[in-house]
Amino acid sequence: MTVSGIIKRIGGVFLVLLGVMLLIFIMLRIIPGDPVSVMLSEHVSQETIDRIKISMGLDRSLPAQFFSYLKGAVRGDLGESYFLKEPVVDLIAEAFPYTLKLAVFAALIAWAFGIISGMICAMFNNSFPDYLFRGLSLFGVSVPIFMVALCLQYLLYFKLSVFPLSYDGSFGSMVLPAIALGWNSAGSVARLTRSSLMEQLGSPYIDTAMAKGLSYKGAVIKHAFRNAMLPIVTMMALQFSGMLSGAVITESIFSIPGIGKLALTAIQTRDMPLLQGTVLFTAFLIAIGNLLADVLNALLDPRISVS
Amino acid sequence: MKKVFSILLITAMVLSLTACGSKNAGGADGDEKVLRLALNADIVSMDAHVTSNDYIVPMNVFDSLLTIEKEEDGSTKIVPSLAESYEISDDGLTYSFKLRDGVVFSDGTPLTADDVKFTFERILTLPESVQTDFVVLIDGAEDLMAGKADSLKGIDVKDDHNFTITLSASFSGFLAQLATPSTCIYSRKIVTEAGGDFGNICEKTIGTGPYIIKEWERGKSLTFEANPKYWGEAPSAKKVVASVMDPSAMNMAFQKGDLDIIDCIFLDPNVVDSTYRNGKYDDSMVKVDRMGTNFFMLNEAVPPLDNPQVRQAIQMAIDRQSILDSIYNGDGKLEDGIYPTGCVIYSNENQGWLKYDPEGAKKLLGDAGFADGFDMEISLDSSAGNQNSNMVQVIQDNLAKVGINASIKSYDRASYLDLRNSGKAPSYLALWLLDYNDPDNIIYTFFGSKDNTVLRSNNYQDEEVIKRIGDARQIVDPDERAAEYAAIEKKLVQEDAVWVPMFSLKHLFIKGDRVESFKPQWAGWSDMYYKDIVLK
Amino acid sequence: MKVKDFIRNRMAFFSAVIIILIVLFSLVIPAISGFDPAGQDLSSRLCPPDSVHFFGTDELGRDVLTRLFYGTRISLLVALIPTAISVLIGMILGITGAYCGKWVDFMIMWLADVTLSVPGMLLAMVVLYSFGGSFISVFLSLVILEWGSIARIVRSSALSIQESEFITAARTMGVRSLSIILRHILPNLIPTIIVLFTLNIPTSILSESALSFLGIGIQPPGVSLGLMVNQSRQFLFDMPWLALAPAGMIMILVLAFHFLGDALRDILDPRSDI
Repeated sequence: MTVSGIIKRIGGVFLVLLGVMLLIFIMLRIIPGDPVSVMLSEHVSQETIDRIKISMGLDRSLPAQFFSYLKGAVRGDLGESYFLKEPVVDLIAEAFPYTLKLAVFAALIAWAFGIISGMICAMFNNSFPDYLFRGLSLFGVSVPIFMVALCLQYLLYFKLSVFPLSYDGSFGSMVLPAIALGWNSAGSVARLTRSSLMEQLGSPYIDTAMAKGLSYKGAVIKHAFRNAMLPIVTMMALQFSGMLSGAVITESIFSIPGIGKLALTAIQTRDMPLLQGTVLFTAFLIAIGNLLADVLNALLDPRISVS
Repeated sequence: MKKVFSILLITAMVLSLTACGSKNAGGADGDEKVLRLALNADIVSMDAHVTSNDYIVPMNVFDSLLTIEKEEDGSTKIVPSLAESYEISDDGLTYSFKLRDGVVFSDGTPLTADDVKFTFERILTLPESVQTDFVVLIDGAEDLMAGKADSLKGIDVKDDHNFTITLSASFSGFLAQLATPSTCIYSRKIVTEAGGDFGNICEKTIGTGPYIIKEWERGKSLTFEANPKYWGEAPSAKKVVASVMDPSAMNMAFQKGDLDIIDCIFLDPNVVDSTYRNGKYDDSMVKVDRMGTNFFMLNEAVPPLDNPQVRQAIQMAIDRQSILDSIYNGDGKLEDGIYPTGCVIYSNENQGWLKYDPEGAKKLLGDAGFADGFDMEISLDSSAGNQNSNMVQVIQDNLAKVGINASIKSYDRASYLDLRNSGKAPSYLALWLLDYNDPDNIIYTFFGSKDNTVLRSNNYQDEEVIKRIGDARQIVDPDERAAEYAAIEKKLVQEDAVWVPMFSLKHLFIKGDRVESFKPQWAGWSDMYYKDIVLK
Repeated sequence: MKVKDFIRNRMAFFSAVIIILIVLFSLVIPAISGFDPAGQDLSSRLCPPDSVHFFGTDELGRDVLTRLFYGTRISLLVALIPTAISVLIGMILGITGAYCGKWVDFMIMWLADVTLSVPGMLLAMVVLYSFGGSFISVFLSLVILEWGSIARIVRSSALSIQESEFITAARTMGVRSLSIILRHILPNLIPTIIVLFTLNIPTSILSESALSFLGIGIQPPGVSLGLMVNQSRQFLFDMPWLALAPAGMIMILVLAFHFLGDALRDILDPRSDI
């Protein structure tokens, strides 16, 4: 990938973000319900509804609302949350560290488990360790994430008292949500590592290396693993941006006030500025993740030269 | 490559360790007087004027002029709080109050009568205020809201401690309204200085109440500390941490001793039954009547529900006792009217008339020309929980037995509220919990004006009855008032079958080992007055 | 022939048998169990498994076994139909993009990138909030979740097929585009598409259960595996049969389709990494 290629890709990121904003606009048009009903809930009266709609600026037409939003967004102002009465930028800045911490931790757990078990499977192909870890990784891809979370809470908090129930800021309280969030990723990384390593181990250069006197283990680690990393790293980059943006379920079970929970609340309460802000932010993260995956790909693949 | 990767790994690990490791797990650490509670959702604002759902801060950090005490027999009594005494004029229009001496806000600002005037003016003039209904009857309120006046004419500040409130029309529920957290008293100086931060930033949200709000971690927890300058008796718990939790998490945390009180309303009644009603917790159960009516609303604007005979048939077709028994383990009481048990005007005469009678229902349907039944739709708020959805499914089953083919359509909460407010929800199951103990609170909300009948999707048509509900507010004589409210209730529910009254429920709490005693809020809300919880 | 490979591959064969059995059961059991999946019996609520109700009853006294297989039927439908639609859409757009190139390709890939950049659950919620929790809206939201990545993979496979000499030759000889696509590109893509289809089914099943967790998705009185797990979440430790039966069924289905997909990939050997 060349420098101009990277610049082109960055341009692409902006185009995608523009598309996301357009999509949000369409979402705004089709989704029923408005924040005033949610705010008043059971305690409604017509007079209050009308007055609050005006005070929130909801009496303006949708395009007018959207374009004033767009204008603000260009200047880095994402508006103010209807409910929390704080700038959306601040709310995202408050929530993001939680999500980031969780994602980093989940990714480390998932990848460590995934890569190691994938390697074990490949090296002991069709023997007991292979079956064991393959079984485990299948468990990883087949159980719904909320079941994992509940079982972890039951077992490790309720029965064994090893970890706290929900996130309280301490290191230990991050372990359960991280396992729950990383669960599916661990499974897919393990499976990909296995298949990718197997492919490499079948190549003739491994035989050459072993003929030169390298042990089997040495050959796996030195040669095959390096080449097998390529698709795995791509997958990891995509998974990481996915974790940053998609931790909705984990964050709500473990009461972590991160981006996912913020976005969930925003859509449930029709807090449009907050919804627009969080969606835009996560779209940005995903776009960056994709870009990073491509760059890593170029760096790692000897066949693609880096200029 | 491998080296780079492992370095990355190690740095990331160290970073996350240092980032997370510093903070101590709150709650169980040494401090004996910490009360640990759970919330099912985070609050939206700490300012009572902009939220009608989140009252824990108004209840604990602020005080109202009056407050309510529940007697042994279940009746309620209005008692002084910030107002030490009051007098009502004979025409029921003018209330003279005297404020308690020596009350200060937790930053030391003294409370004056002017603060009361300021608070009520703010309720009326704040653009996003949701509490105007509570003070709109004060003389001059309409003018202030419309911008025709600069101040609230009806409140006359005599000196720092004495003031009068004059109403534009007499309303005997007014004192009860002043005893709600919705009308808690703010300081003019503090609120003006805080501006937009009031209600959002803890240090600026200062009240006279027994607690100070110390920290609000959005989406996570609220931390309260006892207010050393509180005018009343110091509360038992010196610190209160209320954390947002998922119901199954609450259940586990309580059984592990990490929560001091569990509110069973958030748990499935079957879980409550198997976990807490097995004798082990009998001594630590705290029960209170939820002063609220569960009802099944029928929309008169949606044929064939416009036919009163059809609505009466539906009233008879629903087996309320079996719903109460199977879904709530019988922990409640059937209601046949509008006002719930415990309400100041509760007519025993209007009870006991509605019996489960599917045969009678079929006959009525036949008379109305629907012998072969008809199709109808039930709107369901999908966020309202398993119980609600189960109840609606049983109602569907009951209706099927008399030939009515009801389909259930689910909506998320915001869409559901929108549909209901537009007057187009065909039928729905809901609950109204009293804000203050007066029949007006429930009947006016649902049937008191043309707008209200649309907002509640009942579209009740009889203008004469709607007018009577408005007029009943102003009756001063208690007996006359009781008779009129009972008569309206009878007309609405028995003759016009506006809704199917279901039941009122008990609200069950279980207190943990560290709690000596606990009095729930008088109407059975989930929000508690923390000063009513005594730790061992 | 490939069929022989398939039978020889024990895992694939076994998975296929399991899937067929589950499909058969889901068709037959609700009909012969003697219970209606929606039939309430409030007098026998939350019965543990016994000889009448093999898997016990739920909180409204409905037979869990009947509901389990009825729910499986619905979940299979929810998995198959949207997956088929998204594979079809992904295939058409992917091939069109690869074959036309230029701005058509750009627009299609841009659209895919945009939908893939918005957190999937939020997008699904918007669809479900807008159209209510009906079958159609669950289908629609799953299609929106899935089509983008399928289009991407199909496109890259189609691109590599296009590079082959006989297609370049056909193009220079002036063979009509449609006939090149139908005669040459599509047949070569079929292995990729079959594998994509099989592997996306478990994804749909898991997505549906995630939607149920968030309280959207199939709504009561409808039945689906995800909804059953979610409704019995609170009883997980007190009355485990309620949650374990549907959760176990989800696992078995997801694993069976995974194995089948893997085996098909090995046997059919499609060109790209999926």
